[in-house]
Amino acid sequence: MDFLTLTRRNLWRHPLRTTLTCGAIAMAVFLVCTLRSLVTTLDNSAVASRNERLWVQSAVSLFVSLPQSYQAKIEAIDGVDLVCKWQWFGGIYIEPKNFFGQFAVDPEKALSLYPELTVTEGSKEAFLGSRQMVLVGQGLVDRFGWKLGDKVPIMGTIFPHPDGADTPWEFEIAAIYQSSKPNVDNQMFLFHWDYFAETVETASGTAPDVGTYVVRTHPASDQSAIMREIDTMFENGPQRVQATTESEFQAQFVSMYGNVGFFVSAIGGAVLLAILLAALNTMLMSAREQTRDVGILKALGFSDGRLFAYMLGQSFALCLVGGAIGVSLALLLEKGISKAFAAMLPNYAVIPQTIVLAVGITFVIGLLAGILPALRARAILPVTALSDR
Amino acid sequence: MGSRYSYAKAESALDSRASPARSVIPPAAPGANCAPARILFAMSNSMIICKDVSKSYQRGGETLSVLDHLDLEMEAGRFYALMGPSGSGKTTLLNLIGGLDRPDSGEVTVAGAPLSKLGSGPLASWRAANVGFVFQGFNLIPVLSAFENVRLPLTLTPLSKAERKKHAELALSIVGMSDRMDHRPSQLSGGQEQRVAIARAIASDPKVLLCDEPTGDLDRESADQVMDLLVRLGKEFGKTILMVTHDPAAAARAERIVHLDKGKLGHIESNVGA
Amino acid sequence: MWIPFSYALRGLWQRKSTTFLAVFGLGTVVAILAGVLALQQGFEKLYSEHGRADLFVFLRPGATGEGDSSFPLVKAQTLIKSVPEIATDDKGRPLASMECYLAVRRFKVEGGETNVPIRGVQETTFDLRGPDVTIQEGRRFKPGADEVIVGRSLLGRIRNCQLGATIWINTTPFQVVGVLDSEGPFASEIWGDFNRMADALHREDPNRVIAQLQPGVDAKAFALKMETHPEVPAKVQTEREYLSSQTRALSSTLKVLAAMLGAIMGIAAVFTATNTMLSALAARTREVGTLLSIGFRPIAVFLSFLIESLLLGLLGGIVGCLLVLPIDGIRTGTMNFDTFTEVAFAFRITPEVLISAVSFALLLGLLGGAWPAWRACRLLPTEALRRR
Repeated sequence: MDFLTLTRRNLWRHPLRTTLTCGAIAMAVFLVCTLRSLVTTLDNSAVASRNERLWVQSAVSLFVSLPQSYQAKIEAIDGVDLVCKWQWFGGIYIEPKNFFGQFAVDPEKALSLYPELTVTEGSKEAFLGSRQMVLVGQGLVDRFGWKLGDKVPIMGTIFPHPDGADTPWEFEIAAIYQSSKPNVDNQMFLFHWDYFAETVETASGTAPDVGTYVVRTHPASDQSAIMREIDTMFENGPQRVQATTESEFQAQFVSMYGNVGFFVSAIGGAVLLAILLAALNTMLMSAREQTRDVGILKALGFSDGRLFAYMLGQSFALCLVGGAIGVSLALLLEKGISKAFAAMLPNYAVIPQTIVLAVGITFVIGLLAGILPALRARAILPVTALSDR
Repeated sequence: MGSRYSYAKAESALDSRASPARSVIPPAAPGANCAPARILFAMSNSMIICKDVSKSYQRGGETLSVLDHLDLEMEAGRFYALMGPSGSGKTTLLNLIGGLDRPDSGEVTVAGAPLSKLGSGPLASWRAANVGFVFQGFNLIPVLSAFENVRLPLTLTPLSKAERKKHAELALSIVGMSDRMDHRPSQLSGGQEQRVAIARAIASDPKVLLCDEPTGDLDRESADQVMDLLVRLGKEFGKTILMVTHDPAAAARAERIVHLDKGKLGHIESNVGA
Repeated sequence: MWIPFSYALRGLWQRKSTTFLAVFGLGTVVAILAGVLALQQGFEKLYSEHGRADLFVFLRPGATGEGDSSFPLVKAQTLIKSVPEIATDDKGRPLASMECYLAVRRFKVEGGETNVPIRGVQETTFDLRGPDVTIQEGRRFKPGADEVIVGRSLLGRIRNCQLGATIWINTTPFQVVGVLDSEGPFASEIWGDFNRMADALHREDPNRVIAQLQPGVDAKAFALKMETHPEVPAKVQTEREYLSSQTRALSSTLKVLAAMLGAIMGIAAVFTATNTMLSALAARTREVGTLLSIGFRPIAVFLSFLIESLLLGLLGGIVGCLLVLPIDGIRTGTMNFDTFTEVAFAFRITPEVLISAVSFALLLGLLGGAWPAWRACRLLPTEALRRR
């Protein structure tokens, strides 16, 4: 009781120093939480919970498309339930930094393929009703302040508009979806394949190929057998394909970012080292000033163990307050950071494990920073401590 | 020494059944080691016994002998002043008796406990129960109020929260500092700080009070007040008091004056006037 | 009168353990920043330093890179033959080469997939490149043969890249006959014969043309002219300009990352520096009182403390640089967001990195020292002397 008072008052003896140290620890813990969340978000996007979707793409390159004729051939395979065209559009909304994925899809099939997409505003019927209609994710609505009925111009970079490269494609927002799973992007812009194909044909004279076929298999079917069958079917061309499960494809896509986890860990480690040194410095300074107090407490009959615990407790108090502020900061700024990283890394979230990790780290820093002063307080003779000036 | 809190008579409001401080603080000297000393203590009525005590320090490569095979006994309930020139070993002796430091050789027995037999943990508990310290520099904890400073050693007793509060308030009332309970040390004068320090020293009702130059930093008037208080604690509450001092006026208030010189016992004066 | 510099130095020395901890704390923060910058430099220099200023890249107008550029074959041939500014060799042949380019899916040795640039080149390419592209092992592919040479950086990272292995491109098997060495980004590519590649990939049109220009041709005017060329309009850049433009996304991402880390950890480091200097002040309050009472002006005290803090920052900067130095030359690979392919490069501790690191450290020292120095110079001599 009195020791709690003593801890609190001693930490507050130098309000500025304690505030600054807490602030420094808070900054570091915030940074570690955020960096860690970037990694978990990246990892999470690769963990698919539904597994019956396959992605069929060119085996040669992600930049190569497949003939339209493949769709019927894949549909004919036993165990295949549904095949949907999924074409990357790669257009620019106003400026390049507003990056997000636009896809030309078979609209009805797409909705049936992704039950994770819940239409929250507008309706499925409105989206299916007319070919210039689009279904957009809540993430995009939040980013750009769109609402139902808005006309959205998109500049086609890969697929220029027939009226010239300076003319944007026009779309109208018919429905807004919310994604119920972290691995399904809530920032997609889905529009009608027919509108896409016709416009491209008008512009270039040839019908467009298809970037990806997303395939749904029967729940009871053997997925690996189907993937093998699809691969074998086009082994002799004209364009070889590679079928992967959705989760595998997403995992591979994430692995293309390179060793992000390692970089982040290295940075995080260095951040923690820096902050450990800062906390240690403060604890040493604080402990030096309290040497005399330690002597008094020992003279009053407080045991060595009690003083050890008292010093360590101060360090824990200092670090845990800083850590708590850091974690709160990470949680408070979650929305803002999510927005800032929206283009590169959608669905940014701070997961509970990250918070547990941060609290654990804070404890370890508290222990490491406090152990030295605590050992000193335990070992020092009362007379030596009392003669400290 | 009764089984009751010895200040009980100082304030009738204090419920004596609720505060058997003497009996609840266990005598720290554990085991059979202490039994002979207890018998000795009971027979001789000596509160403090130093037997062949030596202590030296290393300073700048030289060994400095501070106490040299010192033998000394002090009776229970008496007020001793310890005098001598600088470097005569007064403070060292006081620290050894208080268990703040350990002798190189010899044995210090205080209140029946042979201190060399106690490990650092039991020694700390022993200090909590048996001795109170009053320092020249007061040594109050700066971040705690007067009341909190006095209550601090009581956290080492099994007293309830309410009892601790009562005891601390009583100790402060004995030293006449009840009206300044909530002041921080920095808000008090030197004399007031010293009186709070005395309240802290007596809060858990120790048998022995060890005072190191208690009036050294004080003006004459405050010093007199502090000396009045110490004398009263000896007379009224039966404390054994050992006070290191340079001040002849302060020493004159003690019953016995022990003179130390170069680590050896000089003569002991009996002060008839005190 | 000014307080001698040695006073500040002595101040740091007197409180060794605090100074040590503070310097290492600052050093670590500086090292984080320097490490990210070294990554950025390694990546950027790979492109910018190894792009040639005397070699010109022709892209489709409006294209941002060779991935989305394409010339119809006939137009490319016309361009090479008919543009008079293109240099010729001693036999009168134009010093120009068509190239096709595609980022192909490849499997990594450690598992997972990545995109590797594959490039179909003509004979002239090697003449144009000269000593910049050499064969480290094996030999060049023969024109018209299904053979490829692989970049040195791909060995050990991408499956089937060793000499003698077979690389399938769609339905065509290519034999690996040589290892290509280059200091630039080509070391992460696979090269083969232009016609064979075009055939295998079903794209007869080249993505770009590279060429040397006749001596004395004004590059800027030429680029302007080509933009509106009536027959074969093209976007013309030097190779150096082109390669630099291919690093923007990742480079700026890394710079933003460095700035973000620098800002957040910088705040923490400033807090630490302030604490250190406040404790220095606390330990020397009496001294400061003495200095002020014997007639040193407050500004002298202020500067003395500020210098001490800057010194602390400088030491932190030096330690940070020393800490980060060992990563110089360590090879790593990452995705280039502009080309969407993986490139291998090494961390580079360039002078820019060191200068940024030390300036950052000095800034931290300055910001951290300002408040304590202000407090020091505002002390009243009498009050300062009274304090224990």
